[in-house]
Order: sequence, then structure tokens, then C-alpha cells
Amino acid sequence: MTAEEIVEKIKSSMGEDVQSAEVNLGDAVVHLAPESLPKVAEFLKSDPDLAFDYLSDIRGVDYLNMEREPRFEAVYELHSMEKNQSVRIRVGIGEENPSVPTVTHLWSSAVYPEREIFDMFGINIEGLEDKRRLIMPETWEGHPLRKDYPLVWEDIAFTHNRDFKKELVKESPAKR
Amino acid sequence: MTVTEQGLLERDKDTMTLNMGPQHPSTHGVFRVVLEMDGEVVLSAVPEIGYLHTGIEKSSENKRYVHVIPMTDRLDYLNPPGNNLAFCLTTEKLLQVEIPGRAQYIRVIMCELTRIASHLLWLGTHALDIGAMTVFLYAWREREMILDLNEMISGVRMMTSFIRIGGVAKDATPEWIQGTRKFIDYFPEKIDEYESLLTKNPIWMDRTQEVGVFSKEQALDWSFSGPCLRASGVDFDFRKKRPYSGYENFRFEVPVGKNGDIYDRYRCRIQEMRESREIIKQALDALPDDGYKIPDNKISLPPRNTLKTSMEALIHHFKLVSEGIKVPAGETYVPTEGPRGEVGFYIVSDGSNVPYRVKLRAPSFMASPGMCHMMTGHFIADVVGIIGSVDIVMGEVDR
Repeated sequence: MTAEEIVEKIKSSMGEDVQSAEVNLGDAVVHLAPESLPKVAEFLKSDPDLAFDYLSDIRGVDYLNMEREPRFEAVYELHSMEKNQSVRIRVGIGEENPSVPTVTHLWSSAVYPEREIFDMFGINIEGLEDKRRLIMPETWEGHPLRKDYPLVWEDIAFTHNRDFKKELVKESPAKR
Repeated sequence: MTVTEQGLLERDKDTMTLNMGPQHPSTHGVFRVVLEMDGEVVLSAVPEIGYLHTGIEKSSENKRYVHVIPMTDRLDYLNPPGNNLAFCLTTEKLLQVEIPGRAQYIRVIMCELTRIASHLLWLGTHALDIGAMTVFLYAWREREMILDLNEMISGVRMMTSFIRIGGVAKDATPEWIQGTRKFIDYFPEKIDEYESLLTKNPIWMDRTQEVGVFSKEQALDWSFSGPCLRASGVDFDFRKKRPYSGYENFRFEVPVGKNGDIYDRYRCRIQEMRESREIIKQALDALPDDGYKIPDNKISLPPRNTLKTSMEALIHHFKLVSEGIKVPAGETYVPTEGPRGEVGFYIVSDGSNVPYRVKLRAPSFMASPGMCHMMTGHFIADVVGIIGSVDIVMGEVDR
């Protein structure tokens, strides 16, 4: 199936559950709310025409600096090995108590990227048994890949500077 | 374990917890796995990662596109050109530019040479883990030649950073082409040599056949990719199924295994080295002559000698060096086939010269929980064989 056909098929079968779907630079992209993710994911895996049996990756994105609603996004990349086609699911997640349902019951390998999203973005994964941090140490504070987490941050023992943390550079010096 | 009054250790359960790694020579880096053992048998294996976390993804959000390329080398440090290629292809897709044929072919030759080097390193260390020491020495000998070729073209042995947005850094020199030809003529009999040491070796077969078996369904469920997926019987290779960078022009076979055990993964990788050699041969024979980078001076630097005569070239040079490439807003992902499987960068651009978000799809990262799942029920001696056969690189697991 071409990307257009995949988008049409998902739109017509899932109806209300899909917020929008489009073809972006040749890839089929579907936008969802977190509540409809398990239903749509189940459909994408089980439908014989789509047969997305392979989870390629899950990424988190923090859209804080782009001033977009909702703030977070979890992006799922699915392949079908048999049909040689792909789809990208973008799940928008709000800033207040960010959480997204797990997909480990459909693809076992989702456990690592889901734990990584929790670790790096603080997005809670509903239904995931293992809630430990994956990459950062257990005692780490904050979620490093959030945009409001500065690149360099060292707690210093003593300083004459007043409230230096507030004056941290928000935008990278490389950017102009 | 508890200490008794006499100062002796006493077991308080029937199983034993055994820590393996992060400083274990057979875990190929700083991989740590906590094994729950019942005698010699592994009951459960819990992986622990993060010892090599470098924060490259966070750093990338604060660097220009060109400056990200050298960092991608350090992710999967056995496949630097492959990572460069994946990053550049994604950026080029956002920029919507076509790359000249010569640049594409040089990229392919470099990637396939590195695939051979990576498989040679895997073969040597994997055989060493299981106890066959000789192969290691032979594999290193040939890998050294590939690293010399890398040095010849890019000046660096491993972290080449040679593939750039819009082409490659420099044109291929005749010496390098000649050297590569010499190597591919010399190499096939060396693969036979490795095979004569291992393929029919009864000890090797005993240690690898029907060990670490993963069925087709399991391999898909646990997101195995590359040779590990193909060893389980899934015929999927991005070079074949979704050709990029001119792979559609080459004739090559995709080796597929049947049983999904360590032995099949070994056979697949050995066969892949032969196919990579075929691809390099065809690419060298048909190397086009249409430039090693795109002529668009908004993306690639103008030739150095024009700076003194052309005002426009000087302006382009200044803008490109001081500001970098501005990439249109959008998000995209291009999967490529690395030595370990599907490698690709998910890039979100906000229209500026700095990527908004960069995420590597790392085959080792996705395969490591499945690998530990594979260990359960095996003897402890097979654990090193399983880790070796999946071929994880910690640089891309921890990023």
C-alpha cells in the first residue's frame, strides 16, 4: 500500500479515534490522543492489510520552545516486514501529569523506549510494570531531554551571584 | 547471603544472583546483566544500561547540523560512515535535495567497507568469547587494512566524519580507489580462511547450534533487526526493500537464515561480508563522474580557489561557515541498514540552523531486552555466546 492508501484506510476504519492523518514527505503520519492509542495500535497490528508487526522505535519530543499545544509528543514508528510499509503515530501529550498508555502487550520490545521516555521526559507510562529510570542513575533529579532542563547545570557550593539559576541562557549560543 | 555467627556465608535461598559486567571482557563494552542462577541455568536476566551515556542527543539540540555529524560517529563507533549517512540522508530529505551519483557511490563504498570492518570485529571478538582465539588475529589483520583505507580517504582511521550534508567531504583519490580494488581482490579467500576455521569446526558447531534460538515471531516481537532478524528467517533488508543512496543499482543477495540460533547469525554475517564485497566491486566499476557534492552553495561550501575571484562565493562561504545550513521546518525519519540493523535519525527541525530534536534509532538498544529474554533457560556459558551473537555496541545503546 502507498502512504496515501494507508492514511485513507486508517482514517476510514478508525474514524473518531484519529485526530488527523496526512502524508508528510512521503511518510504516512497519524495524530492521536493518548486515550485512543491502545485501540488504534491494536488495529494497526491486527489488520491484515496493514499488518504493522514490527515496532521500530518510540521517541519523545518536547515542543516547549515551539509554543505548541500539547507540549509533549510520543512518536511511534511502525513497520510491516511482510508488506514493506511504515506508519508514524504521533501522540500529543499535555503538560499536566503527562502520561501515555503502554504498548508492551502488542510489541514486547516497547519496554526499553517507554522507560527511556519516562526517564528523559518524565512522561508516565500507564500499565508498564517496570517504572525505574533506564539510562540516568536512580537518584537523578529532573528529566534531561526536556527543553527547560539546561544543557549545563552544576550546583555549586558557594557563590556571590544572586539567584544565578534564573539567569541561565535559555537559547543556545550557536543559534542566531 | 547472610553471615553466620562463625563468620561463614550462608545461602538464604536456592538460587544465586550473579552480576555480570559492566567491566566484563565478554559484554562488549559496559553492558551489565544481573543473572538469577539455579546452578548452571539462567532463570532470569535483567539488563542494566546507562554506563556509557554521553548525552549526545541533548548536545545535538545545541549544535548546528554540520557539527552534529562528528558526534554521530561516536554513537555506534564501529559504523561511523553508516551513522553519518543516516543523519545526512534525513537532513537531505528535509532539505529536499538530490545528491550526485558519484557522492552516493563513494558513500556506499565507505559504508560497505565499514560493514566488513564491523563484521570482522564482531567475528574476532565473538569467536574469542567462545574460545576460538586464532580467528581474532586474522580478522584484525584484514580490519586494519580497511582502517588504513579510511585513513587514506579521510585522514582518520575510525571516526571518519567523511559523509557530509550534500555529498562527501572530498573527492575519492585514485590511490584510494586502487587500494580498495586491491583489498576486494584480496579479501574473498580470507573469508574462506575464517570459514575453514569455524564453519565445520565441531566445537564451534556444538557451542553455537541450537543455542540462543529465536523464532521469526519472537524476533519481530522483540524488534531485532539486521542480521539477527534475517537469521530468524525474515527476509528484510532496507538496502533491498527501500533502496537509498543508489543501492537499487547494485545486484546483491540478502542472506536469510532458518533456525535463528547463534550459528545462523554467524552464517548470515559471513555471507553479508561477501555481498558487501560484491557491492563495493560494482560501485567501483560504475563510479560516475558528476561531482562529489551538490553544487548548491547554500548547502555545500564553494570550491576554495573561487573565493579570491568570486564575490558571491565569498559571501556563501562566509554565511555557511558563520551561520550554517538552515533546514526547513518539519520532522522526518529515513531508515538505513547498518551492520547491526536498522539505523536512522528522527529529526525535528524548527526552521533554524540547529536541529530541534535528534533521536537515533539504535538497533543494539532495541535488541538488548530481547537478548536478555533469550538468555533465560540457557547455561551460563552460553550467555557470552548470546551477547556476542547479537553484536551490541554500547555507544549506541546508551547514547
